[in-house]
Amino acid sequence: MSALADLLASGIVRTVLMGAAMLGAISGMLGAFAVLRRQSLLGDALSHAALPGVCLGFIIAGTRDLGSILLGAFVTGALAALAMMLIVRRTTLKTDAALGIVLSVFFAVGVVLLSWVQGQGGAASAGLASFLFGQAAAILRSDLWIMGGVGLAALALVLALWKEFKLVSFDADFARAQGFPVTVLEAALTVMVALAIVVGLQLVGVVLMVALLIAPAAAARQWTRTLGPMVALSAALGAASGAAGALVSATTRGLATGPVVVLVATAIVVISLLVAPERGLIWQALAARRARARISDGRLLKTLQGLAAAHHDANYPAEQGMLEAALGTRAPSARFAALERRGLIHPVTHPPETTPHWELTTAGHAEAAALSGKPDDPKGGGQT
Amino acid sequence: MHDETLHEPDQALHIEDITVSYGATPALWDIDLDIPPGVMCAIVGPNGAGKSTLIKTALGLVRPVAGHVRFLGRPVGQMRGKIGYVPQRHSVDWDFPTTVRDVVEMGLYHQLGWVRRPGAQARAKALAALAELGMQDYADRQISQLSGGQQQRVFIARALVQDAPILILDEPLAGVDAATEAVIIALLQRLRDEGRTIIVVHHDLTTVQSYFDWLVMMNVRIIAQGPMTEVYTPENLRAAYGRQLAMIATPAEGRDM
Repeated sequence: MSALADLLASGIVRTVLMGAAMLGAISGMLGAFAVLRRQSLLGDALSHAALPGVCLGFIIAGTRDLGSILLGAFVTGALAALAMMLIVRRTTLKTDAALGIVLSVFFAVGVVLLSWVQGQGGAASAGLASFLFGQAAAILRSDLWIMGGVGLAALALVLALWKEFKLVSFDADFARAQGFPVTVLEAALTVMVALAIVVGLQLVGVVLMVALLIAPAAAARQWTRTLGPMVALSAALGAASGAAGALVSATTRGLATGPVVVLVATAIVVISLLVAPERGLIWQALAARRARARISDGRLLKTLQGLAAAHHDANYPAEQGMLEAALGTRAPSARFAALERRGLIHPVTHPPETTPHWELTTAGHAEAAALSGKPDDPKGGGQT
Repeated sequence: MHDETLHEPDQALHIEDITVSYGATPALWDIDLDIPPGVMCAIVGPNGAGKSTLIKTALGLVRPVAGHVRFLGRPVGQMRGKIGYVPQRHSVDWDFPTTVRDVVEMGLYHQLGWVRRPGAQARAKALAALAELGMQDYADRQISQLSGGQQQRVFIARALVQDAPILILDEPLAGVDAATEAVIIALLQRLRDEGRTIIVVHHDLTTVQSYFDWLVMMNVRIIAQGPMTEVYTPENLRAAYGRQLAMIATPAEGRDM
């Protein structure tokens, strides 16, 4: 613990930690809406499109002035969003194609500008490349105030327009028919996502920023059933990924913060996809197995019941091999054992035969009857 | 009282000269349509006839090239919240993290106004609307757990909760089970008997005569409109459906309505 305390005593580490956590919370909260609106990749286009803005901001300001760089990033990001909207509305191209075009064109322009700026030389221009993958150590205490401001504004907006954002995310057509200004609401959400990306550029960089939008939301969806908890959990997971990533990279030499934050967030997603109750893959596989076992047990009991009825003998001993043949499958012997444990069937011998035989117990008869909804009557018709 | 600002106030829905075009081909061509209050009207036509486009245009979701729309004499902008709209069930993501009651309360968001959240009163209204459709026991269910018929009932409850004088439904019976169909039709007919206007995009010609009392037949243009007995004729069906007709249905001559 003392190592951690030493670490936190360092001003730079504290700043990076708080910055990463705040960024994670903001992008987690807004990313939840983006994912639900099926616009996760819009974030990717926006962040890639921020690169030419970063370079233009540098060129116009003539120095590495954060204000003009972030403003440039926001402007080109907004232009990209606008271009995409126009392509989707005015041409026959679908959203994915429009995204692909806009993302690569803006990013290509950004890389061209970046190499040109670097070719011009100058000490300040060297730092620009850090916007590709982020450079956490470059974060200043004053940047935290910008992040906090963006975060509070996003939180206030989401709280005030909670039901409107929910309605627009779920059913935009219905919202429009009700008279809500859907375009304005959707634009508000998109602008907030763009702001989150811009403040995250320094830390995570344009290439990986999208992961911080999508990953916390995707993980949170696995654990929650309603929107409120999902958005809250998404923000919490984003903050946790940011903090954990910052700590890991601070304690290990040569690990860049941004990518580590993204890897932590992705690890949370993988765990959530696997183990979350109801929606997790493992949970679903177990549920499917339980259902299969229940059905095969039911068929086994019904077959035994039918044989007992056909032979007018409630304790008719049925040979295991014959049961398997009647069921058309080799029922795993584990199923026989499981049913025996539940007290529904009972192993018997049937001399002179040496093979295993089974008979229904009283409880087994009741269970088989309950399956068909008919009263227990071993002397009844022999249908199964 | 006669309000000079109203245009055709005696019609629940009045559409004049509406043309809608996606690209070069018109989806709707010069539509003139009047649906009087208090009827249960079916809009029928072959696939691609523009049925959904027609109601989306009426609701202001699609912008027409020309023409205008009035509900009870008013433009749709003045009627927000007074028209219950049930979109096609497949238009939304049913895996959205929300509950049945929450979806139904969305029908009340317009009345609540900005910023205000639904409270106990909204909750009671939502539960009452769900009960009308036999869905009261599902109020706290996740919407992802619903069957197709249950999804449709929830969507209708969301429109019902508005207590609107006009209801517009887009294919409410598509892909639902027989029990749900019976519940929905009984409810819509009761709402009609209370004096509301029900407008339904319908795809099943075999049931249209028994469920509805007013009919609009269209295929990009309006083929015929009016009371069911006058409009549901072999000539009109041929005009709307052309060759497809033989495969769909033939109207029984002199069938008693």
